[in-house]
Amino acid sequence: MTLPEILTPGRLLAGAVTAAAISLWLLLPRGRESGVARWLGILLGIAALAGLACAGRRLGGLGEEAVFLTVSLVAVVSGAATVLTRSPVYSAIWFAMCLLGVAGVLLVLGAQFLGVATIVVYAGAILVMFLFVLMLAQPAGLAPYDRVSNEPFLSAVTAAVLLGLLTLSIGRLSAEPAAPLAAEPAVTVAADPLAENHVARLGAELFGRHLVSVEAAGVLLLVALIGSIAVVSRSESAGLEDAR
Amino acid sequence: MMPATLLGMLAAAGMPADGLTVNGLLVGAMLFALGLVGILTRRNLIVMFLCAELMLQGVSVSLVAWSRHHGDWGGQMLVIFVLTVAACEAAIALVLVLGAFARTGRLDSQAWQSLREDNLPRAVDHALPPIDAAAASWPKLTPAGVLPETDEDELLEREHV
Repeated sequence: MTLPEILTPGRLLAGAVTAAAISLWLLLPRGRESGVARWLGILLGIAALAGLACAGRRLGGLGEEAVFLTVSLVAVVSGAATVLTRSPVYSAIWFAMCLLGVAGVLLVLGAQFLGVATIVVYAGAILVMFLFVLMLAQPAGLAPYDRVSNEPFLSAVTAAVLLGLLTLSIGRLSAEPAAPLAAEPAVTVAADPLAENHVARLGAELFGRHLVSVEAAGVLLLVALIGSIAVVSRSESAGLEDAR
Repeated sequence: MMPATLLGMLAAAGMPADGLTVNGLLVGAMLFALGLVGILTRRNLIVMFLCAELMLQGVSVSLVAWSRHHGDWGGQMLVIFVLTVAACEAAIALVLVLGAFARTGRLDSQAWQSLREDNLPRAVDHALPPIDAAAASWPKLTPAGVLPETDEDELLEREHV
């Protein structure tokens, strides 16, 4: 058998997700650090990424494809680093990098507003909040619970199985043609990422068809704000009583 | 003969999908799986929440890809609400994490293992090998000139830098 016959997409995918699982298992914190396991894990991770990239699509032309490949590589690699880094502060910073990659992916997929909103809301607000809490609560140096992980082998296998099944189901979508969901959508999205008046049309859709949802989201934000203040003040007063 | 790529599979299934759409779904699935590994394995509460956010990112990318595939705004609308819910979730979760930290003094999820089911065994930590903390070797400069007079108060101030 020649190489292309052996490398059917199914086998390629199976090999890629297996390599991804072994790589994650080798790289997860397990108390004792071994340089060999680390390098083996990194090599296997690169092989898995290459295999998944080939399973997705053979590299075509430059331009959009190349940009997409770059930003998705940034997103996935720094997502993996978020999970695998021992220090929580580095983890948060890798997550910021991952957010930049995700914002790039959203831009290429034609959602400019969401790309920018991801950076502003996540990296600007949520991540800074995470870092504040880390600085408040993180002990100096590496805590023992940051150096070990629960069931690294089983979790890596679970994730590999999930990823393989998701990829297969992406490949075997039903024969339904790509029709618009609504019978007559009010406004359709142009596939072109640089479509005209993107934000204006998004806003019209958001405050038109989804007006009630916007109100509900506003109420949710208010409730979360009040709720977090209530929980903080209660736990603080409880702490004072304990101190007495 | 199976078509060699997922795109080929899609075309064979009669669903002419955009290459970017399929790749976007793939990236979303990978981010989701990575976040799943993190939330299952990591023990630091804050890292667990970061991994939950990573899973949300994967879902957002998938939703935008579907939105592009169907030419419909629904997916992008849902992502806006995912952002809203993520902000609320982070605020409340961090408050709870701080409360948990105030009680136990640790950000360890296993500090709360007394909440487990009765039939589950207690997780025990094994002793960890010490971190190889060899003192960094700094370059040494040969002393030259006169030793400057040091102010005791200044030394105290330097302590905290």
